[in-house]
Amino acid sequence: MTDSTVQHNEDKRDVTFRVHRFNPQVDSKPYHDDYTIKIEKGITVLRALNYIKEHVDPSLTLRAFCQAGICGSCAMRINNMSKLACTTQVWDELDKAREPGVIKVDPLRNLPLIKDLVVEMDPLVGKMEHYSNWIDSKMPEEQWGKKEFLVSEEEFVKYDKATDCILCASCVSECTILRANREYVSPAVLLKSYRMNVDTRDASHDLRLAELVKDHGVWDCTHCYRCQESCVKHIPIMDAIHGIREDAIERRGVKDTSGARHAEAFMDDIARKGKLVEATLPIRTNGVGWTLKNLLPMAVKMVIKRRTPPPPPLVKASKGIEKFREEFREMSGHVAKDHEKKSGE
Amino acid sequence: MKLFDIVIVGGGGAGLYAAMEAMKTNPGLNIAVISKVYPNRSHTSAAQGGANAALANTAKDDSVELHIFDTIKGSDYLADQDAVEVLCSEAPKIIRELENMGTPWSRLDDRTIAQRPFGGAGRPRCCYCADKTGHTILQTLYEQCLRKGVQFFNEYFALDLALDGSRSKGLVAMNIKTGRIEPFHARTVVFATGGYAKMYWNRSSNAAGNTGDGQAIAYRAGIPLKDMEFVQFHPTGLRKSGLLVTEGARGEGGYLVNALGERFMSRYAPEKMELGPRDLVSRSLETEILEGRGFDSPAGKYLHLDLRHLGADLIKSRLPQIREMCMYFEGVDPIDDPIPVRPTAHYSMGGIDTDNFGRTVMDGVYAAGECGCVSVHGANRLGGNSLLDILVFGRIAGRAAAEEAGSFDPAPITEAEIAGKEQELRSYMKPSGHYERYGTLREELGQTLGQNVGIYREASKIEKGIEEIAALKERFTHVRVFDTSDIYNTNLIQVLELRNMLDLAETVAAGALAREESRGSHTRTDFPVRDDGNWHRHTTFTLEAGRPKLGFKPVTMGRYELQERTY
Ligand SMILES: Cc1cc2nc3c(=O)[nH]c(=O)nc-3n(C[C@H](O)[C@H](O)[C@H](O)COP(=O)(O)OP(=O)(O)OC[C@H]3O[C@@H](n4cnc5c(N)ncnc54)[C@H](O)[C@@H]3O)c2cc1C
Ligand code: SF4
Ligand code: SF4
Ligand code: FES
Repeated sequence: MTDSTVQHNEDKRDVTFRVHRFNPQVDSKPYHDDYTIKIEKGITVLRALNYIKEHVDPSLTLRAFCQAGICGSCAMRINNMSKLACTTQVWDELDKAREPGVIKVDPLRNLPLIKDLVVEMDPLVGKMEHYSNWIDSKMPEEQWGKKEFLVSEEEFVKYDKATDCILCASCVSECTILRANREYVSPAVLLKSYRMNVDTRDASHDLRLAELVKDHGVWDCTHCYRCQESCVKHIPIMDAIHGIREDAIERRGVKDTSGARHAEAFMDDIARKGKLVEATLPIRTNGVGWTLKNLLPMAVKMVIKRRTPPPPPLVKASKGIEKFREEFREMSGHVAKDHEKKSGE
Repeated sequence: MKLFDIVIVGGGGAGLYAAMEAMKTNPGLNIAVISKVYPNRSHTSAAQGGANAALANTAKDDSVELHIFDTIKGSDYLADQDAVEVLCSEAPKIIRELENMGTPWSRLDDRTIAQRPFGGAGRPRCCYCADKTGHTILQTLYEQCLRKGVQFFNEYFALDLALDGSRSKGLVAMNIKTGRIEPFHARTVVFATGGYAKMYWNRSSNAAGNTGDGQAIAYRAGIPLKDMEFVQFHPTGLRKSGLLVTEGARGEGGYLVNALGERFMSRYAPEKMELGPRDLVSRSLETEILEGRGFDSPAGKYLHLDLRHLGADLIKSRLPQIREMCMYFEGVDPIDDPIPVRPTAHYSMGGIDTDNFGRTVMDGVYAAGECGCVSVHGANRLGGNSLLDILVFGRIAGRAAAEEAGSFDPAPITEAEIAGKEQELRSYMKPSGHYERYGTLREELGQTLGQNVGIYREASKIEKGIEEIAALKERFTHVRVFDTSDIYNTNLIQVLELRNMLDLAETVAAGALAREESRGSHTRTDFPVRDDGNWHRHTTFTLEAGRPKLGFKPVTMGRYELQERTY
């Protein structure tokens, strides 16, 4: 790179960037180009790609703007994982490369391809509009600027972390459901919807929620956690997804939607029928740990709502199920107490 | 022919506020925002610190008056006092307005908006959202614009104004996704394209696109620019990228160290040491480098910001962001190694000359935000006043444009005008024997500006800079765009941005040479003191015969008399 005349003996390595190319005007299908350059420690993937663009192949096309990990422009798949090129060190990626010395660079998935590493962002904006991803202020516009809403620490922390999202679409690119159905709401949009819904200044909670529980909405998520694992800002996206689901059940009732019905069937097993029928349990597909973490809190809340606190005996006790049962009992206790406190206010 | 009442160029804080306010002022108007990046990518998102407003939440004795005084003093008395009054008295309202529409301001225990101390301010009046203030403001404004149904033309690159005699009839822009050049007929045009500090290239904290496009377009159309020589430098930019290591690192006790291992600030600010004011610390680092006490590297000379003595625990708990940045962008973990830093160009005080309503001299053309120059920052901007500036004057310009859009019917932008533009752009793609690479020219422009029109300036160096810029402009005529495709041609875009930077660099250098005094960010070693007798005035730059013609404008004074600026 520019540092070809390094004086203080910094280590350098030959690195091959295998970059996805596609120019719809001339190419019938995408292909990869290899660019091999010498790279010292401390260089980001973005700097390397820019170097290639400036000095080797000016037609290489990518988006980048802030170069500081805040604008969200430069998300792309590097070694098969969506991330920001500007915050990714080349040497770190070398350690992850499947083929020694080769770093694969591809565009984000689940959004239409425009050229090389650039994908169309309009569908994401369209979804933000569809799900009203804005605060609809409780204060009439004519009053704006006159006084502050008062927001407590407790209210604030509910949305604080979610406002870190830079709309880079890494999570969108990694989402399993979007791979099958591009109309799916998208993790980032769920996150943003949640952020709006828990904001005490907002007046459109119900409207947003009504949209979120429809087809392609919050119930389609498979809980695969890929979005959260790929989030470049380490935002607990799944908390938002769970939050919306719980909220949906609480506000709209359990009979409302297919997803809720799914949860209900689950709850029925353990609560009403007084037994766990493994066949209907997500444990089968997702494992015990997953089920405990994801569906349990919701099911417990539903049970409490109906005020039929259940001891869940089991049809047949496997090892995992035993643990599950214990957790359920403990959690029922907590949630019931919380619930009493809240309704006592 | 599609006609807009208002076309806003730029989707940063200034542009979005203008759009919102214009729709509020007159919902019947046809308003468009065009932006070369999706609005939420704009550089406003990079501002971490916060925005100033005398809410008096944290310090009960703060007042608009004090804010006005701090701003005028900070500007080294070059700000227009009536404009500063507007800025500071609108501030509390605009911060609350953002709050009312959803900005997640950090809070005090009493649930009101929190405020913290910031450089050059006598009271803690900087409102913030953790370290993501600009990002959250930009998100809020974008969300609200979507709510209001503002028409966005995202990834459109504004090329030039289209003129109808002496006034504007709109502009031509390139749809980046298709490569088509499209006319935007407009009764009014508002420029909100951000700053030009990226012309210092690798020595700049700015986004790649902060290339002063709006200023260059206005300048080419004959609209004067103002105070272009004033560029603010931040003391601690990372060596390779110019990205900022925020003041927090020194606040926690970081040392600045030269190649001899000395904590050199003892020479310049023996008491405050590393915590002296921004411009003083910047000058100190530059002096160390110039006098040969910096470290050498191919990316340029640099110094060390050493945090190691603070210990891993403190670094991890109090400075996690800074540590992450150093690892991401420089590949250095400050727990084990010192951070390589040098001063970096950060903010452009100059811009399109406007009045207090964002009006330029050309009928129907407005400017706001970092791309405009009202002027509220004078010779030196205070931290936290720029976000405020883009909000307050973005809103004012939006309202003015909405009220003044009227019924003027611009003549159509002709096929010939569009074809002319197309041809101009195609000409960059023609194969020729001798050609220049834009990447090289861009880097050299940054270098010559940094060396000759940087922190320390003197006539002989600036003259050298002017010659080198002229040579670069000549070489630019041979620049070649290799990507010949229509779709998403970033090669072409970057060449056009370089052209804009070259045009503006001439004005920066011309202003720096003319202004024979030291004021605010402008330091002339051959004229080391402020000279109010000759230079208490604004400079203006108008394009004449391909060169910047220098003019002057008086500074609007008010309640505050000229004083020496000491801290
Ligand atoms: C690292 C950093 C930290 C900062 N921290 C602070 C802080 O703490 N407090 C503070 O007050 N200020 C801070 N600033 C300054 C402040 O962030 C900026 O001055 C301000 O955000 C500029 O806003 P703007 O709306 O004028 O322009 P920008 O946000 O830069 O937006 C410009 C817009 O114009 C568009 N555009 C540009 N050219 C074209 C074209 N040719 N065609 C179409 N569209 C175009 C872009 O797409 C973009 O949407 C900081 C600046 C930096 C660099
Ligand atoms: S958890 Fe849901 S939203 Fe996240 S990636 Fe998986 S399916 Fe998509
Ligand atoms: S949630 Fe995370 S990964 Fe997804 S868009 Fe936001 S910042 Fe990017
Ligand atoms: S360029 Fe802005 S996030 Fe990478």
